[in-house]
Amino acid sequence: MKMSTLSSKHAKKKENTYFLQSCSKVVLLLCLAAFLRYLVMSSKYQTIIANHFEISTPICSWKRVQEGLFLLSRNIDPYDGDLLHETPTALIFYKIMSQNVFRDVSLMFIFFDIGTALLLYAATRHYAKQFHQEHRDRTKYPKDVHEYLPSEGYYEKVPLYVLVAFLFNPYTFLGCVGYSTAGIHNFFLALFVFGMVYGSPIVSSLALAICSSVSFYPLILLSPLYIYYSQVYKSKTKALLVVLYFLTYVYLITFYNNSLSKSFKFINNVYGSIWTVPDLQPNIGLFWYFFTEVFDHFRELFIHSFQINATILYLVPLSIKFSNRPFILTIALLFLITIFKSYPCLSDLGFVLSFLPNFLHLYAFCQQGVIVGVILFMTSCLAPTLWHLWIYSASANANFYFGVTLAYAIAQIFLVTDILFAQTKWEFTLKHGREAKIDGEDADLSLE
Amino acid sequence: MGLLTDPRSGQGKLTKLLIRFYKKFCVLLYVGGIFWFCALASPSLNANTYFSENALLPGLVKSMFQEDKAAMRYYEELVDETDKYDNSIPYPWLLAKFSQIGLDAYTHNFTLKSPLNPKEKYVGKNVYGILRAPRASSTEALVLSVPYRPPSSIYPPTLPSIAIALAFAKFAVRGKYWAKDIIFLVTDHEQLGVQAWLEAYYGVTCGNEGTLIHGDLKGRAGAIQAAINLELHSTKIGNIDIKIESLNGQLPNLDLVNLASKICAKEGVYYTFKGKGIKYIRNMYKEWKYYFKNMLSMISTQSTGIPNGNHGLFLRFGIQALTLEGFEQSKNGARVGFLTIGRVIEGIFRSMNNLLERFHQSFFFYLLPSPDRYISIGLYMPAICLIAAALIIKACAKWCQLHETNQKETQQSEAVGTIVGNTVPNINYLGVIILSVTMHLTGAFLTALPELVIPLASNFEVNVSHTVVLCLLGVILSTLFIPFVLGRLRRCSASMDFLCIISLLELGTALICLAMNNFSLGIICGILSVPFALLIRPTTCKYYSAIQKLFWLIVHPATILFIVVLVNTKLMFKQEDAKEVLFRAVDATEQSILYSITDSMIYGNWLYTVVTSIFISNWLCFWCVACSSIPKPVVSSEKKND
Repeated sequence: MKMSTLSSKHAKKKENTYFLQSCSKVVLLLCLAAFLRYLVMSSKYQTIIANHFEISTPICSWKRVQEGLFLLSRNIDPYDGDLLHETPTALIFYKIMSQNVFRDVSLMFIFFDIGTALLLYAATRHYAKQFHQEHRDRTKYPKDVHEYLPSEGYYEKVPLYVLVAFLFNPYTFLGCVGYSTAGIHNFFLALFVFGMVYGSPIVSSLALAICSSVSFYPLILLSPLYIYYSQVYKSKTKALLVVLYFLTYVYLITFYNNSLSKSFKFINNVYGSIWTVPDLQPNIGLFWYFFTEVFDHFRELFIHSFQINATILYLVPLSIKFSNRPFILTIALLFLITIFKSYPCLSDLGFVLSFLPNFLHLYAFCQQGVIVGVILFMTSCLAPTLWHLWIYSASANANFYFGVTLAYAIAQIFLVTDILFAQTKWEFTLKHGREAKIDGEDADLSLE
Repeated sequence: MGLLTDPRSGQGKLTKLLIRFYKKFCVLLYVGGIFWFCALASPSLNANTYFSENALLPGLVKSMFQEDKAAMRYYEELVDETDKYDNSIPYPWLLAKFSQIGLDAYTHNFTLKSPLNPKEKYVGKNVYGILRAPRASSTEALVLSVPYRPPSSIYPPTLPSIAIALAFAKFAVRGKYWAKDIIFLVTDHEQLGVQAWLEAYYGVTCGNEGTLIHGDLKGRAGAIQAAINLELHSTKIGNIDIKIESLNGQLPNLDLVNLASKICAKEGVYYTFKGKGIKYIRNMYKEWKYYFKNMLSMISTQSTGIPNGNHGLFLRFGIQALTLEGFEQSKNGARVGFLTIGRVIEGIFRSMNNLLERFHQSFFFYLLPSPDRYISIGLYMPAICLIAAALIIKACAKWCQLHETNQKETQQSEAVGTIVGNTVPNINYLGVIILSVTMHLTGAFLTALPELVIPLASNFEVNVSHTVVLCLLGVILSTLFIPFVLGRLRRCSASMDFLCIISLLELGTALICLAMNNFSLGIICGILSVPFALLIRPTTCKYYSAIQKLFWLIVHPATILFIVVLVNTKLMFKQEDAKEVLFRAVDATEQSILYSITDSMIYGNWLYTVVTSIFISNWLCFWCVACSSIPKPVVSSEKKND
């Protein structure tokens, strides 16, 4: 008895030192990341990066927010023109943040990036611990699959990797340095994930309401939220309470938006412009090229089909398939939004990519990691080159650039299908063992 | 969707095949790339040029120019006039003539602070006249530019082209049909004058701030659509050479080239590209050889990124431009006078006058094996893509291999039940990434070095140009020793493999990006570096290691530069002995490095930047891999050294 208490004490002490160690690592990484960001922000490259449309789309450009703030200060309705695509609440938020809280805008962006990183770290730490606990009892599984189970120290490694993947990801780095407000939107998405993993219905539904009020795409994340709480409460009706929370928040935010703006113009300027894509300035998404080419009378049809593709097309099948894994469902949906939304930017991709270390246990099952990595790397280098040739040298044209963005989208699609399929295979293997044999012959897994 | 959902792909047979055959496959890709590149010159792969833009056709109809007497008069007056000015442009005479003809005449002053010595200053003066279009409101313009060369200039004279430009202005003033302003520009100091004038026209600085002070223009016309640079060396012209290679390897729209050649053909002027005219050869091999030589000649000029005429500086501003250089000597003794040349200019300008949109129809990316044939981007890109694909395939295969061996060894060690320890290589990702970033910072440091050294050196009484080159050389030599201070990382085979993989990927991507901008430079870099980059791997064999180090030293950008210069010097001074040639070559190499630095400072030529910041850093990464010292495995297992 005494022995056991002693050893548990010892283990606790060990864990404490381990915790301190990882804490110091986290702080070090955060400081380094913040310093590097500030270094680039104060250099001459900041404006070059900020002017790149891969980073500042019409939806998340800081320049437009500044313009809106200026108009607001002159008592002109910022939604009169086709300039600002942020909600009135967001505008007020930016006003307070940039003028009262942070004197230096760069500090504001760094603060939110660091905040996102911390939230992601905390969320994945909690999730990885849960995941580890869930699979701790190795006797439940066939012997030959033990190597696929999360190993010791899994929940220490994963959050740290997530942190590194977020902070030193070139995509999020450039997004933060280029003052992309998508970084701030991502903060609330991270808050949503954090709230969900920690099981706080108020935080998660509030964060989701904020995200959906900025651009309606995160609305579909309501599905994993509902599934998650129906698991936590073990009752489907009780989980509806979270949905109710969410709806209340959305109502409150919309009400506040209205009272701030005194007109409904902002709805057209924010949601309308995201849905109907009037600004066909090139970006890394798939909308602009198609809608510059398509005949005007088909525009409506294709706009709606594209948007349905981006929102609800994959929602139902994925929700059914991953109904027991809401966390994975969340990430899959975030991925799909990033690929198919109307104005994607690099920060979005950086944000979802930083979730990848959560799938460390699927590594052996993934097949297209190398291909995806190579394509992403090459397209990221080729895109600015071709943009330069098209716009500045006036020698290449839109087709060159679109070719690259197409490859970029395909790489992301490969990645998300690969991960989801690997997850399915992993579950299958855990259940049936590694040696899948049918009548003594090697069997093949295939999706049908 | 088999690729996406088939569980057998990826880790299955495909990967195994890749790992097994990637070496042969890489060689095949490289050889295929070279073969494709050579085949480009074959007439079955390239096509005849044609007009894409129908708006350009009217100039081909009827010529009205008859001012050849006036041109001769201008020429004689100008020859007298130049004798009065030693080194500067006879601007009072030019201004007077422009005004007399009825143009708005202006001068433009500019100053150059020598990039290598900020205390030295040079001044220059351009003269230009604007013919205001009677049918439009000065919204668009065309340029006819002529470099002025004083009699003391080392280059062949261009006075006849000034005379014909004036005569053409005299003729054009009477035309009612001009819808675009025509700017007649006489520039001073070769390319500097054009660059300064263009910078002043648009109010921008392309090179470093404060190097070329472009001054201001008093008169402007509309947005410039196209420019023709005229360099006639004689009043009797035997052939006209069309020059197109511009700054950073940009090329003018193929329609403009077609226009110039078609009008020359129509007026009966013998025209050439790279000194070679249209030739009909029956023998297939000989035909291919003829085209291939011309293509290589274009590639060698384009790859330097240095414009081969004053037209080269227009392209950066979206102005399509080319140079027409007229030589006296001709093939069959037939020469044409001012009348025909005037009609050629008239035809070109009347055609361009008719443009409704700026040039956009035809190709911007092409190679010309002959003045009337072209190879489009869709045909030549596969060559460089195949060569770069060899690198990328090798990177993928190595990655799979690394992964597989790791897995196998873990399994083996598990099976044996003993910890094998060091034989299971763990990749030190952090170390490799830090190393790679350091190498790239070294490259960036090399890029910035001249700007750091020049102000320092000019404070002391030293020769600035020597100091800059010596500093560069010193840094490059000292970076060669970086791998030897790495310690443990250098001995870890898996980490070095990982470094090799990311370097291969980087080189492949860099080659493709470079080829998009400047195909010639890309293909040359690809052909030279890829075979050696494919050879490099961390190895335990001493001889192999020494050989790969030697090979890799040969493809260092500095070595290649020296070899190219040496060969050139040897060809130029055939009589001199080896020692003399060597000294000359060293001197010429120094000069060429300095030229590339000053070009990047004045014109914004990015050759120096790209080579130092990308290629040298990438070279250093590979150098680290080549210099890795992998300890031989103690147990004689069947581990492959790859």
